[in-house]
Amino acid sequence: MPAVDRRTFVRTALAAAALGSVPVLDLLAVPARAAEAPPLAVRKGSDIAKLVRDTLAALGGMGRFVKPGSVVVVKPNIGWDRTVELAANTHPEVVRTLAELCLEAGAKQVRLFDRTCNDPRRCYTQSGIAAAIDSLRSERVTLEHMDPRAYREVTIAGGKALPTWEFYRPALEADVFINVPVAKHHSISRLTVGMKNLMGVIGGSRGKLHTDIAESLADINSVLPSDLTVVDATRILVANGPQGGRLEDVRRLDTLIASPDIVAADAYAATLFGLKPEEVPSIVAGARRGLGVMDLNRIRLV
Amino acid sequence: MTAPRWTYARRASQVVCLLGFLWLFVQTEYRGVDDLPYPVGLLFRLDPLAALADALASGPFGWGLLWPALLVLLLTAVFGRFFCGWVCPLGATLDGLGRLLGRGRRAFSPGWRRVKYYLLFALSAAALGGVQLLGLFDPLAIFLRSLALSLYPAYNFGVNRAFDVLYAVDLPVITPAAQSLFPWWRDHLMAFHQPVFALSLFTLLVFLGVVLLEKLEHRFWCKHLCPLGALLGLCARHALLQRTPKTLCADCQKCDALCRSGAVRADGHRRSECLLCMDCTGFCPEERVVFRLRPPQRGAPGIDLERRGVVTALACGALAAPVVRIAPAQERTNPYLIRPPGAVAEAEFLERCVRCGECMKVCIGGALHPAFLEAGPVGLWTPLLVARVGYCEYNCTLCGQVCPTGAIKRLALEPKRRTVIGRAVFDKDRCLPFAKGVECLVCEEHCPTGEKAIVFEEKDVIVDGVTRRLKLPKVVDRLCIGCGICETKCPLEGASAIRVISEGESRRERTGLPAGPYG
Repeated sequence: MPAVDRRTFVRTALAAAALGSVPVLDLLAVPARAAEAPPLAVRKGSDIAKLVRDTLAALGGMGRFVKPGSVVVVKPNIGWDRTVELAANTHPEVVRTLAELCLEAGAKQVRLFDRTCNDPRRCYTQSGIAAAIDSLRSERVTLEHMDPRAYREVTIAGGKALPTWEFYRPALEADVFINVPVAKHHSISRLTVGMKNLMGVIGGSRGKLHTDIAESLADINSVLPSDLTVVDATRILVANGPQGGRLEDVRRLDTLIASPDIVAADAYAATLFGLKPEEVPSIVAGARRGLGVMDLNRIRLV
Repeated sequence: MTAPRWTYARRASQVVCLLGFLWLFVQTEYRGVDDLPYPVGLLFRLDPLAALADALASGPFGWGLLWPALLVLLLTAVFGRFFCGWVCPLGATLDGLGRLLGRGRRAFSPGWRRVKYYLLFALSAAALGGVQLLGLFDPLAIFLRSLALSLYPAYNFGVNRAFDVLYAVDLPVITPAAQSLFPWWRDHLMAFHQPVFALSLFTLLVFLGVVLLEKLEHRFWCKHLCPLGALLGLCARHALLQRTPKTLCADCQKCDALCRSGAVRADGHRRSECLLCMDCTGFCPEERVVFRLRPPQRGAPGIDLERRGVVTALACGALAAPVVRIAPAQERTNPYLIRPPGAVAEAEFLERCVRCGECMKVCIGGALHPAFLEAGPVGLWTPLLVARVGYCEYNCTLCGQVCPTGAIKRLALEPKRRTVIGRAVFDKDRCLPFAKGVECLVCEEHCPTGEKAIVFEEKDVIVDGVTRRLKLPKVVDRLCIGCGICETKCPLEGASAIRVISEGESRRERTGLPAGPYG
């Protein structure tokens, strides 16, 4: 056993306490990536296709993220057997327009999927996303049911809650991963936005993540960073989330948020619910882990 | 020789009917539309035995659903047991498998054929007394539930494994081809989720038992045991379609040995036993045999049942009914007896359910499973919701759509969402926030009622001497419909920490009378 003398022990313990208790000194919360303020676009409008195009244009266009010939995964939230107006799933028009933009940017293939909570067939149909993708009539865009064979166990370096977890290979192997959550109330994680949307590309018993949801989400997001996060806040679910079911819990905001920084996108979305980013544990965990910037004063609104 | 064309026609009809039923069966699956256009339950609308069960059950006769079965009875009175020889999928399966397996040629005494009539009488008497077991012996139910609970799941398993192997070995050309074929195959010819049932093996053994009877004698089941055959036989007794020659010819007697149903004997042609297979029109060396429509004639041999046998059968059935019904109330002895939404009250449900397995086949959440003894001794193969395995999908109404007998009523979406099939109850000794002092709320997340039936209270809880603020879930009885998604999704291993019990179910008859001597 290596000898630790008392003085060394105390010094280390004090340093650790200082780091943990004083947020200003929390070096982990000041990630290297944040040297440059991340851009974040917020737009409002009731014509959803135009809204998506305007928001992406503000970030410099889809071409900044999708290079010609690349394989793109667009990951909407299709978790629930709910119709569009109930705001439980990403709006089909948002999803379709993003897929169109990917095609226009020259994507070789655009793949969409979600590991749903209700029956996947019902969710894909009821959400309106199946019909929206069908209407594109493009062989390069596919809405797929998840293949139970295609999960891979990944060791999570620096994982705090999860040492390893199963991830969906097509998501890991994509050239570009575009995260398209809908912003919703959620009892255990307070909100479900971009970071939580990654629950749809992992395998295993996801319910187990609930015992430490914030660190678990930081863990899985560290394995699979989103190249672009587009938060659908055309309508948001403010209560009885994440699946809702009552129109009185839905607020129409006609808003879209987009950023290459998932933490910034989630942090901005939190304000739509009257919350401060630091009130949402997964956002704090994400910022600490260096996944992005949660301080809205340090982002660049474009 | 012109005669065998009737045999070919009969075989063609069997193949077409069998394929038709299989096609309907595969269609009985959610494929993106909420209302199934061709559920396989259509098959039972043709089933006179299902109609008999319905007529003997309490409640009004389902004319609207079952008129085709009455049409079959009418046609049988004219043409004889054409259904057995030309239509019945179990009969066709037995003909086909018998050919493959080789058939026994034992000669059973003609008295054996009476067994099916006695069985029919006993089952009818029991049904009249409120204990309906016709479904256990109904050939269509046997065929469909073997398909639904054993054969189709096994086929899915096999095909999935084959694709798994191709996926794993990753062969250069074959694997990509298989991968591109798989979604189409899955979407059109397979179940979306691998079906899983506890009684698969048992169901298969019963089916194999029926098939292996072929080793004793060709169509042993149909000749000696089938109660539907007996019912049709009773109707066919004076059928107008009659065979000439009526008896065995003195110079040949081949019919005696070759007739698969033993219908042609020295004393005449028994229309109640003849399956109209038409083989005799082919094998008759003199081409004498013809079937013609003629007015009914006196002197044809009847069914010659023994009075003593008939009385015994009726007495057995009549006695079985009260003995079964004196069992204690199921809702008290098994609180986990959850029936699908739309199921009628338990007593009537047991009378109406024909155990065809269609609701279990179509259940989108894999929630419905065949009972063994969980629903009492006569509840065999009736559907139970086993919420740890699967849950009732909030927006789905399929089981009520496919039920051929109204045991599960067809519900529109809104009434279905309000139908209480049970109620969730926490086991706080195991539920994580209560028992381990950690957060969870997976049940609350999945609860599908618009205003959630699972809510939480934030409380300070002392865990290992440290105070933690935890979200503690609880059930709102007023809102819970017992769909069971909470029990399915509970992240604990093994048993769930929240379970659905049948308390508060909408269908229960609440008479206000005490259930036993102590209330």
